[in-house]
Amino acid sequence: MGRFLLHRLLRALLAAWAIISVIFLLSRAGAQERPPASRLAEGSLSATTASPVQRRQAGQLQQRRLGLTGPLFYVSAAPAPAAGLGWRWHWNGRANQYHQWLRRLVHANLGVSFRDGQPVTLLLGQSLRYTLPLTVGAAVCSIGLVWLVAPHLGRPSWRRRFLLGLFFVVDAVPLFVVALLLLLLLANPDALAWFPAYGLGPEDAAAPWPVRLQALAYHLALPLLTLTLASLPALAVPLDAALRHELRADYVLTARAKGLPDSLVIRHHALRNALLPALTLLTELLPGLVAGSVVVELVYSLPGMGRLLAEAAAAHDYPVLLGGVLLIALVRLLGQLLADWLYTLADPRIRLPV
Amino acid sequence: MKRYLLGLGCLLGLSVCSSPTPNHADTVRIRWARDPENLDPLVLPNAQAVETTNLLHCSLLTVDYAQKKFVPWLAETMPTVRRTDSLTLVTYRLRPEAAWDNGQPILASDVAFTLKVMSCPGLPNEAARAQFAFIESIQLDSLDRRRFTLAFRGKSPDLVQASGDYPILAEHQLDPRGQLRHISLAALRADTVQATPRRSASVTAFARGYAQKNLGRHPENLPGSGPYVLKEWRAGRHVLLQRKKQWWGDRVPAAPPQLRAHPKTLDYQIITDDATALLALRRGDIDVYPMMPAKEFVRLRQNQKAGDLAFYTADSYEMLAAGFNMRQPALRDALTRQAFSHLFDIPGLIQASQQGLAYPSVSLVSPTAGPLYNDSLPLLTFDPQKAQALLTQAGWTRNSQGWTRHPAGAAPQRLEPTFSYRAGEPAYEAVALQFRAAAAKIGIQVQPRPMEASLFSQQLRAGRLEIYLQSLSGNPFVYNFAPILHSQSTGWGNFTGFGTATTDQLIEAIAAEEDPARQAQLLRKFQRVLRQDCPLVVLYFLRYRLAAARRLTNLHVTGIRPGYEAAAIKSQPAGAVRP
Repeated sequence: MGRFLLHRLLRALLAAWAIISVIFLLSRAGAQERPPASRLAEGSLSATTASPVQRRQAGQLQQRRLGLTGPLFYVSAAPAPAAGLGWRWHWNGRANQYHQWLRRLVHANLGVSFRDGQPVTLLLGQSLRYTLPLTVGAAVCSIGLVWLVAPHLGRPSWRRRFLLGLFFVVDAVPLFVVALLLLLLLANPDALAWFPAYGLGPEDAAAPWPVRLQALAYHLALPLLTLTLASLPALAVPLDAALRHELRADYVLTARAKGLPDSLVIRHHALRNALLPALTLLTELLPGLVAGSVVVELVYSLPGMGRLLAEAAAAHDYPVLLGGVLLIALVRLLGQLLADWLYTLADPRIRLPV
Repeated sequence: MKRYLLGLGCLLGLSVCSSPTPNHADTVRIRWARDPENLDPLVLPNAQAVETTNLLHCSLLTVDYAQKKFVPWLAETMPTVRRTDSLTLVTYRLRPEAAWDNGQPILASDVAFTLKVMSCPGLPNEAARAQFAFIESIQLDSLDRRRFTLAFRGKSPDLVQASGDYPILAEHQLDPRGQLRHISLAALRADTVQATPRRSASVTAFARGYAQKNLGRHPENLPGSGPYVLKEWRAGRHVLLQRKKQWWGDRVPAAPPQLRAHPKTLDYQIITDDATALLALRRGDIDVYPMMPAKEFVRLRQNQKAGDLAFYTADSYEMLAAGFNMRQPALRDALTRQAFSHLFDIPGLIQASQQGLAYPSVSLVSPTAGPLYNDSLPLLTFDPQKAQALLTQAGWTRNSQGWTRHPAGAAPQRLEPTFSYRAGEPAYEAVALQFRAAAAKIGIQVQPRPMEASLFSQQLRAGRLEIYLQSLSGNPFVYNFAPILHSQSTGWGNFTGFGTATTDQLIEAIAAEEDPARQAQLLRKFQRVLRQDCPLVVLYFLRYRLAAARRLTNLHVTGIRPGYEAAAIKSQPAGAVRP
C-alpha cells in the first residue's frame, strides 16, 4: 500500500508539473504580444501628453519590470538563415523566463501579482479564507441532505419520483439563475428581505467568536443555499442509481427477510455499498472546494478563489493565475489519490497495482 | 428529519433577528463594480484607484465638475504662463495653508520630489513617466519656498493643465534621508533599467525603500495631503475612507468648493453584479449607485415605490464607435466605409440598447462642446438605399453571390466583412445584430464575431479585424486625437490605420492651438475630414446614470468619470427628506 501511494504521489507531482508548465508557456507566449500600460489606456483621449513613442516605451518598460521580456524557454526558434532549409533552434541557456519561474517554484515562491505586487501565496490564502467556509459548508450540507433523503431513493415511491423530479429541475437551471432567484426571493424588499444581498458584512475583530460565526453564517446563508442546491443533484442522482442496483442484491433480500424496516436496510446495508461509486466524486469535489464558484462569488460579491482567478485571467495576472491553477491541479491529483485509498478501505477485495 | 428542520429554522430565525444594523448617519456608501486593486499613486490601474487617490492626495490643480474646468487645489491660483522661444514656463505658488498631517508645510521641494519619483528608475512608474515626461525641469524660487516654475516644450494649453494634474507626494515621508535630493530630474530620466550599473547607490536604495512601503496595498504608509485617510481596505469587499479631523483645507478662508469635503466617512462597497447592486440600493445597503445600466435605471425611475431614491443623468464624454480597419482591402476606399456608415440605425440603437439615455453626434466631439462641435454636418442617417448607391460608386457589383469587385491588378474582392466586438456587452450585441440585419437586406453577409476581451484587443492590435466596436472616452478639456488617429499610433491605439501627413499635422495643430476660436475652426475641419474619410463612426455618446438616496444632495453629477463628486456629497437629516 505504501509503495502504491508513493508511486501515485510521484506520478501526481509529475502530472502537476507538466500541467503547470504547459499553462506557463502558453500564457507567457501570449503575454509577449500584449504590453500593458495601465494609465495609458487604449481608447482614451485623455492620456494625451505622452507621445505614441513614449507610450510604446512605457509598455516595454513595464514588460521588463514584470519579467515578461527575454527568451521564454531553454530553446527558441531562431530566424532561418538566408540559405538554410528551415528553422534552426537557438539554445537560450538558463537565462529564460521558464527557468527563473521554475527555480522560484521549487523554493515554494509563486511570485507576486502583476496587479498589486502582493505575494501570490498571500492572495491565495486570503481567498481560501472566504472560499473554504462556503464550499466546505455547501459540501457538508449537500452530503447531509443526501443522507436525509437516501431512504427515499432507490425504491419506487412517490417521494422518490418527487425528489428525482426536483433534482432534475434544479440541475437543469443554470447556477446564476438559481443564485438570482434566491436573491430575488429572500433578499428582496418586495418579497422577503431575510438575508443580506451581498458580501460578508462589517467584520468586527473584537467581537467574540460566536458572534462572528453567526454573522458569517448569516451572510453566507444564501450563497451556501445556492451551492448546496446546485450540488445536490450531482450527489443524489448517481446515489439513486447505485441504490437501485444494490436493493436488488441478495443480501438486501436477506435483510428484509429478517424483518428490518426499509430505512434501516438502506442506511445500514445498501447505502454503504452504494457509496463506492460516490468515492469517485471525491476527485471532483476536492478541487471544487478549493476553486470556489465564480458565479456564486460574483453574484454575492464574495472575494473568494473563483473570483480571484477569473479577475486574474481577465487582467492577464499570470502569476496569480498559475498559482491558482497549480493549487487546484495538486488538490485534484491528491483527490484521485485519496479516492484510490478509500476504495481499498471500503472494499478490501480491491487490489491496487503498483 | 423534523429535528433537523427545526434546528435549521431556529438558526436562520436567530440569524435574521440578530442581523447587524450598523449606523450609517454620517457615512455615504457608494457602489463600485470592482476593487481598486492598487493604490500606489504612481500606478493607478483603474477608475476606482484614481478616485481613491484623489481623496487621499491633492494635486496642484483639480477639476471643478460643475464648471467643467481645472481649478487650483494645492496651488494658490491658476499658474502664470510665460513663453520663451522654445519653452513654456509655468509658475505655481502653493497655498500657505497647505500642510501635511504632521503640520509640516507642503513646499515646492515636495513638487520637485514628486517629479523625480515619477521619473525614478526601478519604480512601477512607467505610465506616469511617459505621461509627465514633457516637463523638462523645475526651478525652485530661492526667496519663496512655495513658488516654483516648470519648464516644458510645446505651447498646448493641455500641457499647462497636465503640469498640475498628479498627486503631490511628501518628501519627508518617502525620502527622509534626501537620497533623491541631489540627483537632477534629467539624470533620473536618462537612467534606465538597462543602465543599472550606472545607477547611483542612493537611487537604488530609494527604489528599495519605496518597494518596502508596499504602497499598492498599504497606501496608509504614505499619508497624503487630501481630506481623507484610508481606514480600512478589504480587497474585493470594501474601501473605507475617513475624513481627517484636521485637514489643511478647513483653514482656508472662504474655501472654494474643491476644498470642502463633507462626508465623515466614505464607504465604497464592491458589488460585482449589477442585479445584486440594484437590490442593495433598494434595500438601503448602499446610498449611491453610479453608472447604473440603462434598463434598470429607467425601470427603477418609473417604479413608484422608489420614492426614497433620486435619479440623475449627465451627458458624458464616453462614446461607442464602430471602426473600419482601412488596412483591409475591402475597406480601403472611403466610399465603402461611408456606405457601411449608413447601415447603422443610430436612433433605434439608442432607444433599444440605452433606453434613450444616449445622444448622437456627427463625430468625436460631443454636441455639448458648443462652437467646437461641427453642427453644420448632418447626423448620419440610416439609409440602406444610399449605402447601395455608394457601394456601386465604389466599384462593387451585386450578383447572386453578393457584392464583388475586380480591382485592376489585384485579386477579386467579395464584400463579406466580419463585425467584431467584445463579448458580454448587450449594447455591443444589439449593434452587431442590427448592422447584420441591415446589411443582409441589401445582400451583404456580415459575420458577427463576439470575442473574449483580451483576444479582441490582441486581434485589434494585430490589425486582423475588419469592422469593430470600441468604447472611446474623452473629456471637456482636451482635444488630442493622436492616441487613436495619428499614424504613429497605428497598432497602438489607432486601430483603423487612419492617418496621412496632412491629418497628422491637423491633429497636432488642434492639440497645440492656444486660441479657442482657431482651435474650434481646426476641430470643425477635422470633423469634416473624419466624415469624409470615415475611419470610424460615432454611434452615440452615453448619458451617465446615477441613482442615490434622496437624503443625499450636492452630488455634482457630471459626465466626467466617476460621474459624481464624493467629497461634495451632503446628507440631509432624515426628517428633511421629501419623496
